[in-house]
Parts: sequence; structure tokens; C-alpha cells
Amino acid sequence: MSVAEPTAPPTVAARAVAASKLYGSGATEVRALDAIDVEFTSGRFTAIMGPSGSGKSTLMHCIAGLDTLTSGQVFIGDVDLSGLSERQLTTMRRDRIGFIFQAFNLVPTLTALENITLPIALAGRDPDAEWLDLVISTVGLGDRLKHRPSELSGGQQQRVAVSRALASRPEIIFADEPTGNLDSNAGAEILGFMRRAVDEFGQTIVMVTHDPLAASYADRVVYLVDGRIVHDMAAPTPEGIIDMMKSLELGHH
Amino acid sequence: MLRAALKGILAHKLRLLTTSLAVTLGVAFMAGTLVLTDTVGRTFDQLFADIGEGVDAVVRSTESIDTGFGFTQRARIDKNVADLVLTVDGVAAVSPEAAGFAQIVDRDGNPIGGGQGPPTLGFAWPAVDEVNPLVIVDGRPPVGPGQVAIDNGVASSADFVVGDTVTVLTQAGPGEFEITSIVKFGEVDSPGGATMAVFALPIAQQLLLGDAQQISEAYVVAEPGVSQEELTDRLGEVVPPGVEAVTGAQYIQENQDAIRQGLSFFNTFLLIFAIVALVVGAFIIYNTFSIIVAQRSREMALMRAIGASRRQVLGSVLIEAVVVGLVAAFVGLAVGIAFAIGLRELLVVAGIDIPATGLVVAARTAIVSLVVGVGVTVFSAVAPARREKSIPPIAALRDVAHDESSSSAARIVSGLVVLALGVGLLLLGLYGETGNDGPLVGLGILALFVGVFVLGPVFARPLSAGIGWPLPRFRGMAGTLARENAMRNPKRTSATAAALMIGVGLVSFITIFADSTKASIDQLVDDSFIGDFVIDSGSFGFGGLSPDLAPRLDELPEVGVATGLRFSVAEVDGSSTFLVGIDAARAIEIVDIGIVEGQATDLGAEEIAVLDRVAEDNGWTIGSTVPVRFVQTGTVDLTVAVIYENGALAGDYVLGIEAFEANTAEQFDAQIYVVRAPGTTAEEARAAITPIVDEYANATLQDLTEFKEAQSAQINQLLNLIYALLGLAIIIALMGIANTLALSIFERTRELGLLRAVGMTRSQMRSTVRWESVIIALLGTFLGFVIGVFVGWLLIQAFADQGLSVFRVPVTQLVVIVVLSALAGVAAAILPARRAARLDVLKAITSE
Repeated sequence: MSVAEPTAPPTVAARAVAASKLYGSGATEVRALDAIDVEFTSGRFTAIMGPSGSGKSTLMHCIAGLDTLTSGQVFIGDVDLSGLSERQLTTMRRDRIGFIFQAFNLVPTLTALENITLPIALAGRDPDAEWLDLVISTVGLGDRLKHRPSELSGGQQQRVAVSRALASRPEIIFADEPTGNLDSNAGAEILGFMRRAVDEFGQTIVMVTHDPLAASYADRVVYLVDGRIVHDMAAPTPEGIIDMMKSLELGHH
Repeated sequence: MLRAALKGILAHKLRLLTTSLAVTLGVAFMAGTLVLTDTVGRTFDQLFADIGEGVDAVVRSTESIDTGFGFTQRARIDKNVADLVLTVDGVAAVSPEAAGFAQIVDRDGNPIGGGQGPPTLGFAWPAVDEVNPLVIVDGRPPVGPGQVAIDNGVASSADFVVGDTVTVLTQAGPGEFEITSIVKFGEVDSPGGATMAVFALPIAQQLLLGDAQQISEAYVVAEPGVSQEELTDRLGEVVPPGVEAVTGAQYIQENQDAIRQGLSFFNTFLLIFAIVALVVGAFIIYNTFSIIVAQRSREMALMRAIGASRRQVLGSVLIEAVVVGLVAAFVGLAVGIAFAIGLRELLVVAGIDIPATGLVVAARTAIVSLVVGVGVTVFSAVAPARREKSIPPIAALRDVAHDESSSSAARIVSGLVVLALGVGLLLLGLYGETGNDGPLVGLGILALFVGVFVLGPVFARPLSAGIGWPLPRFRGMAGTLARENAMRNPKRTSATAAALMIGVGLVSFITIFADSTKASIDQLVDDSFIGDFVIDSGSFGFGGLSPDLAPRLDELPEVGVATGLRFSVAEVDGSSTFLVGIDAARAIEIVDIGIVEGQATDLGAEEIAVLDRVAEDNGWTIGSTVPVRFVQTGTVDLTVAVIYENGALAGDYVLGIEAFEANTAEQFDAQIYVVRAPGTTAEEARAAITPIVDEYANATLQDLTEFKEAQSAQINQLLNLIYALLGLAIIIALMGIANTLALSIFERTRELGLLRAVGMTRSQMRSTVRWESVIIALLGTFLGFVIGVFVGWLLIQAFADQGLSVFRVPVTQLVVIVVLSALAGVAAAILPARRAARLDVLKAITSE
């Protein structure tokens, strides 16, 4: 059983240093990220929140190696992503990062099991059977493994996506509105699995969401407005988050 | 709606280009063929007009036989007819002609032209300036024995000048001549690439006709004020029976018509390949529009939802098809004109030399190109467009429809019906007596292709799975995805593969047919030839080996028997046929024609041998009378003395040498068979034969192995030409694969983005696209093989009694085709794979 050592000192799974992202130039310049400094501690579940256009998705994309910064640095572990080639970035995503997207998470031609082991297969490795069994039984997909995505419900599809993200035991998982397309029950189930992954497996998860209820599953909420972190809340509750959002909104105007 | 459609087209310029290209090449081929044949036709029209210029009437024999492809063999006339004609009132001059085979030999001892090359013409120097198309470049006309004029084309290519000595082969054997003159034919160096050897009339009669008392025909010049018709009428009254007079205009017209007829065969031959290319193009258009419609269903449904009528939606697709067709037709026409020049070069490389002057682009060519280009495109787009029409507005709310349906009962039934129709047409064409064998077989093959195309989606998935089976093992996840992608949309995969199936099917069919023919020839030689050597002239009909050669060889002590085989044309039952002439009593020692009844020695001056099948069809038995119409002697009753079964070697009718010589004018051996004397080794025999054969530049000495190889080489030459012509269909099919892949990649943007996000490298992405392409290519190849082998087998069965006794599938060649197809698949995937690998991951995963 791979449970995080409680005595180990907290390490940083990913961080951004003075991360800026600009679109356009001159009068039409938009600062999606404005010199952000943030760290994501290993074994913790962090939610990134913020209104539309606040830069929360851009931040996630840049840290996850899907997008590049205009200036500043992002690190996965000790590796500076800005120094990596396209190919190195790809293997970084494959071997050290897990992804859960809002929709279109799965390859339609592959079975649930093949989707779960996709990054491992792309690396040309064999999955760790014991770990895989544990992940699959945790999310409760045992009888659905031979099914294709089109034969699965939205909730089941997201469970496959969570399993895929966990299967290769990445250093960090990025989830982009993972419950955005689900009804509340299915959404709660997925968030529950993610919570367990952090608690029981010591997984690090960074989740972008606009839903206070979803964010309340996290250990910490980072709130962005206009490309800057305006609030950093530990042990959030739905009510606390809503209050924060209200106060921020008032302060903003 | 029109504006919306046009905007849509402009938004996808690349797609417009690739889609148009599929039809463009077919149109280009067709336009190119028409331009080429029109151009060649006009060249010959001009040529014959030049030849006939100044000729007011032609006096010639009434006896002629149409030998096919526009050629006519006409009997000779007595030379006294020319003298008689000169006495007719209104005749200013008469120029007797003596024409025949005369082959010029170059300085290295190699014959120029002949065989499958340009014709080798020999004729008499016209006695009258008015009818003389020859223009002297240098020297004086030949006047006596041992003198010749040659054309400027040969003179410059073989480096001859006036005063040189040249060897010329004629019916009388090889002769040495002094070149007294180098001539042009009107304004050209040589007429249509033919070689010319011109002799003084008496010499020409002797060498070319073998009879100083005969002439081929005579050209008559009228006195001023006498019209061609008037002259011809007067001549008609005095010429003896069996001789006729025609006007100069008619003579020109007949020659022009004859060459047009020969060209139309050539034209049809090339157009078949253009049609093949267009059918392949049609498949691709169909497939492309199907994919476009599937992808646009959302957009279209939205238009329907906001109130566009079904008719308007259908119209928008058809407008796109018309635009694609117009672009294809115009570009195709332009490319075709350039193509005509290239095609000519290709034919020259293949050994078929045809003349060309300025290009002729007839209005008909432009109209046909336009109609066919637009027609094929719109026709192919109608079915997908109708499908689009039926998209319900609600589809706007759904994701891009993935049509994974494949095997409805209706599809299976209609596919099988079309297949059955194809087999039926093939059988009717091969065994029926319809007189339209070629078109029926062609339609039958087309129906087979369409049948397999219709059934394609039913077996595309299992076949793709089978073909791609090893991929996951040695290409990992990229291989797995390639295989799954090939299987995911069986309709699309099979339609794409079907385009390649056509090209590969025809290539494999031709390959199998050719290989079976080679195997049959080998078997025939092994079974029927007792001899040791074959001396081949490479000629089949016009000219050949001088009849002197065989007797000279026969006299050698190292030679047991040497005897020739001749061909002539005659009419039996009103249809022209080849007759074989052999010295039967001697030939029987060398070749086994499979005599069933009678004895070879029975074949005298009035006997004929008939193939058993032909005898049976006509109810002839030994002793029956067969009326044969010869060009030279008219209808002669011959008695059946021998019935034989080996038609592959001897054809339908065989004459003994006495009967052959008595009834035919030209005496050339096409081949000479030699068996060595007892106690002589093959080396000794060859050493004795070689110096004599070497005197005859067009004679090639071959032992049986070499003979078989030479026959194979001839087949290979034709095969290579057909491969080159079918190559176009295959290139178009490859573009179809590339097109499908590109459209699929566009459609799978999100999925590809996901794969890249979770760690698929660019090279893995390229590998996935590449292997999907290879699977599609191999699927098409497999389907093509199935049809090719089947049609090849069917054809060999049908021709079994004409000597195609062996059905052989050339495994090596087919393996080569598979490897080439796989490589072609790789090539087709290059651009789509690059596009997939360069995909912007972030855009792909965030796009709606």
C-alpha cells in the first residue's frame, strides 16, 4: 500500500515563479497571468478558483506543460519546464503528470481499461497490476473495463479519467472542471474519489473549478482575479468559499 | 445560400484543391488522350494529303482484304496496266508504284525500325514529278541496281551520307546499296517516323514484289481541264477485269479513314485508362463528400434549424460539387494538353513511335472535359448530399455523428446482386457471341468493383483488424490506435480502400494474365518444339526474314532441318483470318501442331489443315471443301487434309508451302525453326548457323531458352506500358487516402489533442496516422487481389482453348505489389501525419 509517509517533510510538487502570460500587445494587451508565485505541496488537494477570464485555466495549462509562459518559470518537482524541448515536455506530461479534463477525456476507440493504461502504454511500459487493481476497485469500474466510452455514462467516463490520472502514479494531477459536465451525484462521487486519492494514496491534485461545493473537497483554495492570486484559503468550506467570493466581489467593485 | 456555399468552399481551399485533384487527373488523362490522338490524326491527314497531292486517279486491283486496325491488303496488278492507262485520252502521265518491306541496317548491323517500332517502307521512285512527295536533300534519284535513296531521318540518326554503302533487307534478302540520294518527305524528315528506302522502279519490283511483271498500283495525272471524276470514268472503261480506278480525292480519303480507324483503337486503349482514373476519382469524390457531410452535419442542421429548406441544404452541397468539378475540368484540360506531350514521350519510351506536330485542341475535347469533370463530381456527390438533406435539425445538439453502421441487410443484398451482375457480364463477354466482348468484360469488372465497394463496409472492420493484427505487438499503443482508427468507421475505410482496390485489382489481373501467358508459352515451347533453335524476325505480318535464309541453313551439314513459318491474311466465311504457311512435311519434324487426323505430307497445293475446334464449328471433316479468299488469287477451294488441335502454335488454318506460295504475294518467314543434325552438338550447330544468320540483320538466333525469354520480354514491354498507365489510377487512389486521413484528423482534433496531452509524442502520433494509412492501403490491395485473381482466372479459363493453358499467380510480383502498396500508404500519410503531429495541443483540447 502506497500511503504517504506522515513523517516526511512536505515537498513541493509544482510551483510557479513570477509567472506571466500575455496575449496581444500594446493597447490590446491582456495579462492572463500577472507575475504569479504559487507552490503546490505534495500530498495535498488544491483548488484554483476565480471568475471567467481570471487566468485559472491558463495557470493550470502553463504549470502542466500544455502552454508556455511569456515570462517567469514553472517547475514540476525540480524541473524547470521552460528549459524543456517539446519532446521532453511530452514525456514529462506522460510520466509525471496526470490529467482529468471536463469532457472528451477518453479515446473513443479504446476500452475503459485501455484508456486507463494509455499513458503507461504510450511509454511502452507494463502497468503495475496490483496498483491498477487498487485504483480500479477504488473507483468501482471492475465490470466496465471492456466497455468503450460510448457505452459508459458521463460519471463512469470521468471515473475512467480519474483512474487514468492515477494509474501511472504521477507526481501531480491536474483536473480542469472535472465535474463540470456531471449531475451533482456523479460529481460528488468523482470528487470523493479524488479526495480519497489524496488521503489514502498521498496523491497531489490541483483542480480548476468555479464551483464552491467542488472546491470545498480541497485542502486549500487559491482564488485568482485578473491573473493575480487575491486569496489563499486553507481548509475551505462551501460557506467560507462563498463568503470569500462575495467579499472579493464587493471589494472588487 | 449560394453565397454561404461559396464562402464555405473558400474557407477550405486545401480541401477544394485535394478533392478537385482526384478528378483533375482523370480529366487530364482523357483530355490528353483526345489531344494526342487528334494531333496524330491531323499529322497523318496531312501526310496522306501530301502523298496524294497531284494524284488525279489511282489504278489498282479490286481485290482487297481488311486486316483489321485500319489496314487493308490489296492485290497487285500487271505492270502492263500502266502502259494501257497511258493511252487513255486525258491522261498526262502515269507513275507505277511498287511498294513493300525494306528495312535499312545501321552501321553496327542492327535493323532500324520494324517489329513493334516504326514501319519500314520500301517503294519505287515516282516516275512523274507531279505525284512525287519526295524532296531531295542531297544527291540524285536512284536509277539502277545497287542504288537507293534513304530518308533524312535515318540518314541523320544512323549517320549516312550520299555515297555511303548501306545494307537493306528485302524479300530478296540482304543487299548492299549505294546511297545516291537523301530525301525528305514533303517537309518532314520521314513520314510518321517510318523509314524509307526508295529504289528505281524495276529494282523495286524485283526486290519488294519479287516479280518484275507486277506493280502495286499506279498513280495517274490528268491533262489540264480534265477533272478527277472525268478521268476516273474514262479509266474505268479501259482497265481489265479485277482492276479499278478511283479518284485522287477518294484515295486520300481512304488512307485518312484507315489511319483514323487504327488511331481509334489506340484512342480507345488510352481512354480505358482515363476512364479507370475517373472511376477512381469518382470513388474519392464520393468518399470526400460523405466525410464532409458528416462533419458539417452540425452546421447544416443549424441552417435547417434557422429555416433553410432541405432543398437549399442539398443545393449548397451540389454547388460545392459543381465548383469542385469546374475547377477539376478546367485544370484537367490544361494539364491534359501538357499531358499529351508527356504521354507521347511515354509511348516513345515504350517503343511505339508516333509523330506529332502542333497540338490539336478540338472544341470537342474542351466540351467533353467539362462535361465529364463536372458530371463525375456532381454524380459522385449526389448520394452524400441527399444524406445531408435528411439530417434533422436536432442533430445540431449532438456531437459530430459517428456513422459506425456497416452491415445492413439491404447493403449485403444489393452488393451481392451487383457482384452477381458483374460475374454474369464477364461470363457473357467471355463466352457469349455478342460481338461486344470487350465492353461487356469491362462493365463486368466495373460491376465487380462496385459490388465489392458496396459490400466493403461489411468486411472492412474484420479485414482491417486482421491486417492490423500484428501492429499492437510491434508498434505498441500507436499501433493499437492505428488499427482501431482503421476499424472505427468501416464505411470510410472501405470507400477509401476501394479507390486503391481498382488500381491494384487491374494491376494484379494484368500481372496474372501476363504471367499465365508467359507460363503458357513456356509450356507450349516445351511441349511442342522438338527443335533446337528459333530464328525470329520480330515481325508479325509486314515483312520478315527473306525466304532465302531457311534453305541456306537447311543445307548446312550441322543442321538437320531448318524450315520457316509464314503468315498471311485471307478471308474464310467472309471474315479475315491469319493463315500459317509451313513446309509441312519438314516442319512436322520440329514442331508438333498436334495432328488429330490426316498426315502432314498430305498438305499440297490444294489442301488445308484446320484446327479441330474450327472444323467442328463448321462441320468440316477430312475431304471437306473450304473456300478461302486470298488477296492475290481470289477465292480458292481447298480440301481439308489435316485436322490438328494445337491452335496456340498454328492458329486456325495451316497451308502447306505450295498452297501458300501459290496464293499469296509476299513471301517472308516470320520465324525459322532449326533442329541440329544427329551427332552435332548445340555449340557446333550454333557456330555453323551464326555467320549466315548474321548476314540478315533482322534475324535473331535463339535457343529455346532464349526464345522463351524473348517472348517474356515482349510481354513485359507491354506490361510496363500498362503499369505506367494504371499508375495514374493508383496515384489518384493514394491522394484519396491522404484526403481521407486529413479529413479524419480534422474530425478527431479533440481526441488527438487529448492523446498529446496525456503523453503521446509527435513521432508516436505520426506512426499512428502512418499505420492507419498502411492498413487502408493493404485493405485496398487485398480487395484488389481478390478481384484481380478471380478475373485473371476467369479469363485464362475462357482462353484455354486458344493456348492459355496455364493459370499461374506470380507470387513474387504480388509480394512486390503488397510491399509497394504499404510504402505507398506510408507516402500518402506523410502530410496528414505531419499535420496531426503539429497539432496545437492546447487549442485542440480547449476547442468546442
